[in-house]
Amino acid sequence: MIEILVSFFLLVGAAFALIGSWGLVHLPDFYLRLHGPTKATTLGVGGMIIGSVIYFSSHGETLSLHELLVTLFLFITAPVSAHMLAKAALHLQLRSEERTRNRNDV
Amino acid sequence: MNAALLPIIILLPLLGALLPVLAIRLGRTASAWSAAALSGIALGLLLTLVPQVFAGETLLYRLDWLPAYGLNLALRLDGLGVLFALLILGIGLLVILYARYYLSEHDPMGRFYGFLLLFMAAMLGVVLSENLLLMLIFWELTSLSSFLLIGYWKHRADARQGARLALTITGGGGLALLAGILLLGHISGSYELSVVLASTETIQAHPLYPATLVLILLGAFTKSAQFPFHFWLPHAMAAPTPVSAYLHSATMVKAGVFLLARLFPALAGSELWFYLVAGTGMVTLLLGAYHALFKHDLKGLLAYSTISHLGLITLLFGLGTPLGAVAGVFHIINHAIFKASLFMAAGIIDHESGTRDMRKLNGLWRYMPHTATLAMVAAASMAGVPLFNGFLSKEMFFAETLHHSWLGAWHWLLPVGATLAGVFAVAYSIRFIHDVFFNGDPIDLPRTPHEPPRYMKVPVEILVALCLLVGIFPAWTVAPLLASAAASTVNGTVGGALPHYSLAVWHGFNLPLLMSVIAIAGGALIYVLRHQLFALHARLFRPFDAKALFERQLEQIIGYARRLTALLENGSLQRYLMLLVASAVVLVASGLWGSPLSGPLPAGEVDAVTLAGALALALSAITTTLWHRRRLVALIQLSVVGLVVSIAFVRFAAPDLALTQLSVEMVTIILLMLVLYFLPQQSPAESSPLRIGRDLLLAVAAGGSVALLAWGVLTRPYQTIGDYFMANSLSGGGGSNVVNVILVDFRGFDTLGEVTVLGIAAIGIVMMLSGLQLKMPTADAAGRPWARERYPMILAVISRPLLPLALVVAIYLMLRGHNMPGGGFIAGLVTAIALILQYVASGIAWTQQRMHLDYIKLTAAGVLLAALTGLGSWAFGYPYLTSSFGHFTLPLLGEFELATAMLFDLGVFLAVIGSTLLVLANLGKLSVLKHTLKEER
Repeated sequence: MIEILVSFFLLVGAAFALIGSWGLVHLPDFYLRLHGPTKATTLGVGGMIIGSVIYFSSHGETLSLHELLVTLFLFITAPVSAHMLAKAALHLQLRSEERTRNRNDV
Repeated sequence: MNAALLPIIILLPLLGALLPVLAIRLGRTASAWSAAALSGIALGLLLTLVPQVFAGETLLYRLDWLPAYGLNLALRLDGLGVLFALLILGIGLLVILYARYYLSEHDPMGRFYGFLLLFMAAMLGVVLSENLLLMLIFWELTSLSSFLLIGYWKHRADARQGARLALTITGGGGLALLAGILLLGHISGSYELSVVLASTETIQAHPLYPATLVLILLGAFTKSAQFPFHFWLPHAMAAPTPVSAYLHSATMVKAGVFLLARLFPALAGSELWFYLVAGTGMVTLLLGAYHALFKHDLKGLLAYSTISHLGLITLLFGLGTPLGAVAGVFHIINHAIFKASLFMAAGIIDHESGTRDMRKLNGLWRYMPHTATLAMVAAASMAGVPLFNGFLSKEMFFAETLHHSWLGAWHWLLPVGATLAGVFAVAYSIRFIHDVFFNGDPIDLPRTPHEPPRYMKVPVEILVALCLLVGIFPAWTVAPLLASAAASTVNGTVGGALPHYSLAVWHGFNLPLLMSVIAIAGGALIYVLRHQLFALHARLFRPFDAKALFERQLEQIIGYARRLTALLENGSLQRYLMLLVASAVVLVASGLWGSPLSGPLPAGEVDAVTLAGALALALSAITTTLWHRRRLVALIQLSVVGLVVSIAFVRFAAPDLALTQLSVEMVTIILLMLVLYFLPQQSPAESSPLRIGRDLLLAVAAGGSVALLAWGVLTRPYQTIGDYFMANSLSGGGGSNVVNVILVDFRGFDTLGEVTVLGIAAIGIVMMLSGLQLKMPTADAAGRPWARERYPMILAVISRPLLPLALVVAIYLMLRGHNMPGGGFIAGLVTAIALILQYVASGIAWTQQRMHLDYIKLTAAGVLLAALTGLGSWAFGYPYLTSSFGHFTLPLLGEFELATAMLFDLGVFLAVIGSTLLVLANLGKLSVLKHTLKEER
């Protein structure tokens, strides 16, 4: 039962990481591509961390919460780095697709 | 117990050399007093030991230093040592008093006394060493410290050149001496004097004896200014006169003849010794005496006279007879006394009249009768007039030359040469006195001469009194000192028998007396005829400048060295890297040649994940190279390499290394970003296709050979040292994290070295960066200006709470390091990165306002803490850096472990933070324009 649960979360995390990487490669412009890695770092890593918490809590004696610290750091830093990337892109006036939403607000 | 005073006698001036430098803040007299007190105490300690030595004892002090190499702190006090130590300390004391009044207001007196004490310590070390290698160390130290003393007036070109000349020649001789002593130790099987002096037959029968002798003599002759190395000595006269009085009477140049005396029992007595030593001594004796007469410079005359007297002493030792050695030792004493007083008198004359030119200095008797009297006594002693001390040893010298038979039918050469030298000695002594103090009136002197300050004359008076006392009552004054010194010279021990010699002034009418009479009469005659002789000398000898010749040859040698260096080192980094890699390839290839590549073991299985990682690594390395001209892109590729490496560490169960690699990777990227900021973003294409081809070939060869090596190692069975560490980590080092225990305990000394190097490198980088002016790029390659917002608000705000969080992580890593992945190095890097983030996000000014850390001090504190922790184990009688640990229990907290290794680790932690931030913060400062820094404040 536990194994199925752990596998599920690992698969979910891996799927998000795959989708994020896929998007990073395939999306047409920088602003769109920026979405890819943010999915991978938040949802992808998140899924794996939940899997890890369940696995180690059930195998060890105590509740394993180290992983939450990883989440905390990631939640603090990932948005900031995405923000910085976007700022840089705007400053450099990178080319964007016609279809990109809100492109005229920039 | 008494012998334990010996190291103290040397250490007093050695460590005390700083005292006068500090005391100068309390005034010049305080500085002089501190120097005098130190040498006075050392002299007092020495005097307490003298009775024992006179009673026939040889005091030995021994402390193992590097026994495996035969180098020990072994000291020895015998008769010869007592004699020299007395001269060094006694005359040193007088020179200190004299220099107090000689040096002018503008001369930095503290530094003078500092150098003088350093030199004194080095000389004491030479004469008190039992171990020959130890003696050599002090010997080199005398060369170095005399360089500082001769070049004391560093604003004067002649002083600098004279100092350099002396250092080059005596230093070169020191190298020969090193080789000679190594040979001597090889032959006799020990570097201890007691052994060497006792194995005379072994040494002289050995086929290497001639080479050994020549090398050792080269050392002695360069130091004692023997022909053809004599020319450095006159140029050393550019030193202040107290220095000349000290170096050229009792110390520096006497080190060479001391060596002859010291090794006399082991080396002397052979035919080779006689021809080399006596021959050199004779040539030097005559050459020096002749040239001394024709010098117009007062100190120049004394310099050549010194050369001549050193030649005399060398000649005496060269005779190889016990009586010759006795006379040599006796003349060492007498020469030291009268030459020191003469130099001091010359210094007084120079000081009070402003010139040393004997063509201008005339008739000073009327202005300074007191000084003149003193100088006359000393000069009479130098000339060898009866009732003065110089007469006694000169008489012995004359007698010895008569009783020698090595030369067979040419035996008359020695006494004739000796008498001739005596004639010249009398002539230049008369010239010294008559030209300066009589002979008409002074000719436009810069100053009106007068008597010097009272205390400037005291040292001269003491020395002159000694000249007379020794000269008139030799048996009551110098006899015991001479007997014990001569006995230890001749026999190597104090107790041995000495041949009969008589110290009486009057020996009846004999041949030596006749030689003395001829010398005095002939000298007077030559002085009367001096004007004709000067003219003849000027016509016969064109001025020959040995120094210019030497300098020219030196230039030439330096030129050769430069050209050779330029062949290898042309300033191109590519060239160096090529040479380095190519030689590595050659070494590997030559090592692998002929041996089977694969070992008996089958290759291990390769799984898909490892393969994928290896491919990623290779691919990113290749793309880094391919895109190296687009620098930012290459940098990102490079970070991929680092990332894959750290993942590989995780895979092979080395979380410590993975953590370290990750943090090092981050610091490196920041560092490179900072540097790249100043560089164009595109590298121009610089290499020709040919060169790229060559480099490619080289790269393939290097990579291939590493792969082959790895393959060869992996397919062979081998025992790693890892098992030892695994087994002993917990029991021996008290930690279950083997990597950390290796770093702080098993290999703690390595780590200490690495941390020190890290600190030095960081400080070096800061020094290079200080005052650097770089052109600041205002836009990127495409001409787009930098963003106006320097410190984006979101980044700045978010990074601040990150700091305490990161610090908690660092402390956690640090504390658990001994048993779990972590440790001081990683914790230091994590802290450094967290702090760097503050610099990046909020600016240098903002950060420094809130954090007053001096990174240089932090680095130093870290290194010191690590080093001191190691010292701590000495206090408990364990070897350096032995870790100790214990388990303690506290209520509430439970059981925990404390290890001294943690203190060491703390030192590493601090040093890593300090040096990382030192480099990054200083590089970062460069990238911020000065005015923006001001604005921010």
